[in-house]
Amino acid sequence: MEDFNKKYNLSDAELFAPVDHSELESEKITAPRYSYWKSVFRVFFRNKVNIVILSLLLFVILFAYIYPAVTHYDPYANLMDPASKHLGPVAAMNYFGANLKWILGTGASGEPTFEAIWNGSRISISLAFLCAAINMTVGVCIGAVWGFSKKVDMIMMEIYNIVGNVPTILIISVLAMLFAPTFWTMVFALTVVGWIAIAYFIRTQVVIIRDREYNLASKCLGTSTIKIAMKNILPFMTSVIVTLLATELPSYISYEVFLAYIGLGMSDMSLGRLIYQAEGAMVTPGWEIEFWSPVAIASIITVVLYVVGQNLGDASDPRTHM
Amino acid sequence: MGKYVLKRLLHGAVSAIIVVLIVMVLIYSLLDRNKIFSGDPAYNHTASNTRTTYEYARWEAYGYVDYIPYADYLRDLVKAGEIDAEAQKGAAALGRTAEKDSELTVEYTAKFREYYESQGYEVIRLDADTKKNGQIKSGGNPALFAVKDVPLAQRALKYFMQMFRFDNIHYVPEETDIGERGLTFTLHDPVYGGEKFAPAIIGNGTLHKYLLYFDGQFPYLHQNFLNIQLGESFTVNQGVDVFDTMTETQGSYVLSTVTYPTGVTLERADDLHTATYVEGSRDSIASNAEWFTDDYTNVKIVKVGMSRLGYSFVIGIISTILAYILGLPIGLLMSRYKEGLLDKIGTIYIMFIIAVPSLAYIFLFKAMGGAIFKLPTLFDVESGSKLMYILPIVSLALPSIANLMKWMRRYMIDQMNSDYVKFARSGGLSETEIFTKHIWKNAMIPLVHGVPASIIFAMTGAIITERVYVVPGAGNLLTTAINRYDNAVIVGVTFFYAVLSVVAIILGDVLMAMVDPRISFTDKAR
Repeated sequence: MEDFNKKYNLSDAELFAPVDHSELESEKITAPRYSYWKSVFRVFFRNKVNIVILSLLLFVILFAYIYPAVTHYDPYANLMDPASKHLGPVAAMNYFGANLKWILGTGASGEPTFEAIWNGSRISISLAFLCAAINMTVGVCIGAVWGFSKKVDMIMMEIYNIVGNVPTILIISVLAMLFAPTFWTMVFALTVVGWIAIAYFIRTQVVIIRDREYNLASKCLGTSTIKIAMKNILPFMTSVIVTLLATELPSYISYEVFLAYIGLGMSDMSLGRLIYQAEGAMVTPGWEIEFWSPVAIASIITVVLYVVGQNLGDASDPRTHM
Repeated sequence: MGKYVLKRLLHGAVSAIIVVLIVMVLIYSLLDRNKIFSGDPAYNHTASNTRTTYEYARWEAYGYVDYIPYADYLRDLVKAGEIDAEAQKGAAALGRTAEKDSELTVEYTAKFREYYESQGYEVIRLDADTKKNGQIKSGGNPALFAVKDVPLAQRALKYFMQMFRFDNIHYVPEETDIGERGLTFTLHDPVYGGEKFAPAIIGNGTLHKYLLYFDGQFPYLHQNFLNIQLGESFTVNQGVDVFDTMTETQGSYVLSTVTYPTGVTLERADDLHTATYVEGSRDSIASNAEWFTDDYTNVKIVKVGMSRLGYSFVIGIISTILAYILGLPIGLLMSRYKEGLLDKIGTIYIMFIIAVPSLAYIFLFKAMGGAIFKLPTLFDVESGSKLMYILPIVSLALPSIANLMKWMRRYMIDQMNSDYVKFARSGGLSETEIFTKHIWKNAMIPLVHGVPASIIFAMTGAIITERVYVVPGAGNLLTTAINRYDNAVIVGVTFFYAVLSVVAIILGDVLMAMVDPRISFTDKAR
């Protein structure tokens, strides 16, 4: 220092200026701007496969909603025409003339299978989204409380043990007999006990991270329980919740197919009911397409939903954002 | 540990009882009881007053109400010796309306009304339904009866009281002379001619003749001291208990040379070991008198197939074993070579099974198995072929394999970053050694918890698989009962499932504590 001052012939006062302690500046952190959801989507779209599958999902959903809306589907239009029933794609095109709607042939009452499937898909997708939305909302909220409070935990565990042992099929069939087996009855039946499994899953996750050191520290510093739940735990669980949603959404479509197959389905022509009614056609040579096309569409919808959800779940884990 | 398990068992029993109560409320109180007539052909043949009495009689049979017709009341009076047969006949004749009753009828109807109204019954009198010309319409005869809805508590109490039945020598009414009552122990079972060594306990005065015996059927030693009754079926398998419906053999008769107690030898399918007491059966049926020396004449029939539980269990247990044999090693290899080819194929397979509706891939495998491998796609009890088991087993094993793969891989990867693994690696152990000696054991602990459940629930059968391959298993019992409004079967099956799940969870906890010494359920360790 002495040498330096001598060399340039500068006094200490010229070299140094006192700086006041700035309260405001000390709070600033120099880090790049970070938005959680932006990075989620950056990671998600980095994988080109995700773009393809997401477009496929959007196409399927839009098609299922728009196609039945712009076309007039009448399942019984050809009921009186015996020659129009159970036709293959080629035979149907020859009989009715070339049109997109005959591309999968005709069904048992001469209806175009293609239109029947998209009408069914619309109902099945609506059911899945509605049930998933209700069950996830109720399940996550109750699960969070369940995991936090020891008192609630004791009561809820008893309820879970009991309700979990009442067969779901029984509850659904009782409700279907009590009310008419309509779309809304089905939504009610699937949600009336459906949330409890989700709540239990969330409860377990909350219990695991509830007592971690960072939450303990937060608690010691006086953070309120609600703030801990909202700021400390919920962000931690985002990827878990998205992954759960990815399995829940297709599971309702599968479950509806299952229920329809065992004869407990709803009265609307959902995918499940189409499959149930076409079961006889599967064993008849030449008619198999009537059975396999709704099965294939149901599988495509569920697989696409599942893959998008899983990859979004992976992307929403901040550890993958590096 | 023992105390803890006992506490859990009691807790589980309470849960199971509450489940039964909930189910009883669901089916007896919430459901419209008129639905039971929707598939009943006899109902449409009834009219007028007969239809009303028919409804109440059916409701009683299904367990909704207590229904006592006036005629039954009079018959009981005769039995009790209060009136004679002639008075009964006179009192039973109801007039077209209450005013037209004879004096005797008025006396007894009043008694009937007073007696049952004091017990909370509603007494209903239906006047004769007449045509314009004064003739009684078909089915329009006057009727008098008392009805009461069965309250929930009474129904539940009755259900649990009759669940366990201990056979005793006072089963046969005391006034019936059947010789000396008692249990005899013999080393030479008379069914086998009395020469062969076969220990058996034979009762006299009990419901079952053979209370303990050996035979060639699994589980070889059979007992009849304690019988479990889960509720008598009404439509699914009429008059037979749910438990028997699940456990009795099916298919065509197996004829063999049967030597009856009187020494008559015939080619028949009767299983003499199952003989139960039917009072006066030798007097009413001539052949019984010819074959049997006592009134233990009601025998079960030996059939070619297994029971419902048997089929479900054989298919379920093999697929469970298969799932563990395949699923665990594949999951282990997937985590060992993470991001490798096997891991990628495995992940796609898991995705396929989880996302695609189970119905779709079961049908897919059925179609493939039938077309490519020429396997039988329909189950036939009579054929005895072992090939028909393959497709149902494979269909059941596929989702379990995917599930085990998924969790095994997950737990293995979770363990791979823990400190003890890093320590082992720094100590110079090879990756294979770390995987097979350290990680594997720790990753298995949460999986062990599910082993008892997967074995126990192999018994209950799978609804779709059994339906698609027409397996006569236990999986469809609940749905069939629901479709046919067989309330007793619904309650019985639900209770059975609830008990199984309670036991499975407790066994899983115990097994986990046995495998992992760190886990303890005793209060001291906590």
